[in-house]
Amino acid sequence: MDGLKELTTIIMAGGKGERLFPLTRDKAKPAITFGSLYRVIDFTLSNCLNCGIRRIYVLTQYGSFSLDQHLRAAWDIMHPDLGEFIYSMPPQQIMVSRWYRGTADSIYQNLNLLQRERPQQVLILSGDHVYKMNYLEMLDFHLSRDADMTVAAVMVPRREGSSFGILKVNAAAEVENFLEKPARPPGLPGAPGFSLASMGVYIFRARTLVEEVIKDAKKKSSKHDFGGDIIPQLVGRKKVFAYNFRDAGGQPRYWRDIGLLDAYYSAHADLLGKEPTFDLFEAAWPIRCRPQLYPPSRYLSPGACLAVGDSLVAAGCTIEGTVNQAVLSPGVRVGRGATIQGAILWDGVEIGAGATVNRAIIEDGVKVPPGFAIGVDLKQDARRFHVTENGIVVVPNNVILEE
Amino acid sequence: MASISFRSSFAAHSEGSEALVILISLYLDKPPAGAQGEQNDRPGELLMKTILVVDDDEAIRTLLQEELSDEGYRVIIAGNARDALKKVEEEALDLVILDIRMPGMDGLEALPRILGLKEDLPVILNSAYTQYRESFMSWAADAYVVKSSDLTELKAKVKDLIAK
Repeated sequence: MDGLKELTTIIMAGGKGERLFPLTRDKAKPAITFGSLYRVIDFTLSNCLNCGIRRIYVLTQYGSFSLDQHLRAAWDIMHPDLGEFIYSMPPQQIMVSRWYRGTADSIYQNLNLLQRERPQQVLILSGDHVYKMNYLEMLDFHLSRDADMTVAAVMVPRREGSSFGILKVNAAAEVENFLEKPARPPGLPGAPGFSLASMGVYIFRARTLVEEVIKDAKKKSSKHDFGGDIIPQLVGRKKVFAYNFRDAGGQPRYWRDIGLLDAYYSAHADLLGKEPTFDLFEAAWPIRCRPQLYPPSRYLSPGACLAVGDSLVAAGCTIEGTVNQAVLSPGVRVGRGATIQGAILWDGVEIGAGATVNRAIIEDGVKVPPGFAIGVDLKQDARRFHVTENGIVVVPNNVILEE
Repeated sequence: MASISFRSSFAAHSEGSEALVILISLYLDKPPAGAQGEQNDRPGELLMKTILVVDDDEAIRTLLQEELSDEGYRVIIAGNARDALKKVEEEALDLVILDIRMPGMDGLEALPRILGLKEDLPVILNSAYTQYRESFMSWAADAYVVKSSDLTELKAKVKDLIAK
């Protein structure tokens, strides 16, 4: 546990999440609803809690109010008198008068915080990933290699490597290069069919981190990003290792960046089924969310049975229709004879009687009128809503749906 | 219509040197920043590198101004961090020598603000104390020189950083 005392943990949660528009038009990406009950940042924060990390800085910027609200409502659980905290930190404008220019710049702008803590190691996390990870195992790896920087990475099939930041490593897991979305991703020594994708999770030797973000801040050409600027700058000069995030059998563990609407949607499919790809029911690694008071969900079909299958249904829902492969947040109402197929319904969504919703993401509070169809005629949907490349219809709550 | 003026100056300032510098400057409308004001009487200034000395101690400001002027630099001074930030914004500087312990804003606070204005401007921290060397906040400086009556080290660092 000594390692923990000398560790400062920082969660980057300031990104604009433009590729998740319209879901991010009024809130930060980490504050987006995910998996019925959760906000995306809950996964990273739960990981911290589950491995005993209870001193956490959350760097916020874009749409920070949504995140502050959530941290307050769900994560006001630390004891300051025990030295524990979760602090939300928008740009302080103390060191410099500007917004965070990139992930590395957000650390540079908070050097005074690191000076106050004087940690030996700094754990840098992202607030928009869905995964379960014990960061202390990564810290052990980092310390055992006496590394300046350790980058957590997950194996992805080589042909899919072009959509990630890829680490080129040698057989000893030392990083030789960082390639942002390479056309021809390099294979992994020992597993040539796979490439190593950076997870945006880093552990730094504190001194190295400080030196490098300062150097980076003075560079006009830099985008001030850990992946694209800091790693290439370090490689060959310092000891940079990749920590392969895999299970005991050598298989890649679950990790998703939900930066795209289609990725957000398909990560929900991973939650469903008896043996889901990503299990929210694992008692040994609970995911914490905002506690809410709702009555039990009710299923109304006097004299008959309702067809509700393969779904996650939160408390407080009223269901009188058919629901399949759907994820329902608290307080959702599905009217009589309505059909929900492959949809993500946020808090308090109301689906009118006889309405049809296929393959859609519907924001909180949207009222779908009786008989209305979403995801049936995509051409028509595209005139009113955002439709993704994979044909997922996104219904934001700033529109009024007419019958 | 732009007004045109000619100015010439003659300088043979470095000790023992016979060098004669003739400057004929052509100004359109307005002389460029830094070519006007109190330092204007110094000859050959347009070729000189400019150093800003920030220190709340007048004796040190005077000492550094004299010594560095003798080395052939144009030296401007600030007695506190706020004035220094103003000068960083207004003047075309090549280097800053920054004291740490000053009333009001100290040097470690001023340093990132200076870099926020001019990110590639070299800064030498010049303090009577060694303890700030270990502060992360001081690492953004290009050099840390402990104050001494012997200015050899400071002058060497100045030369180094300006040559870069």
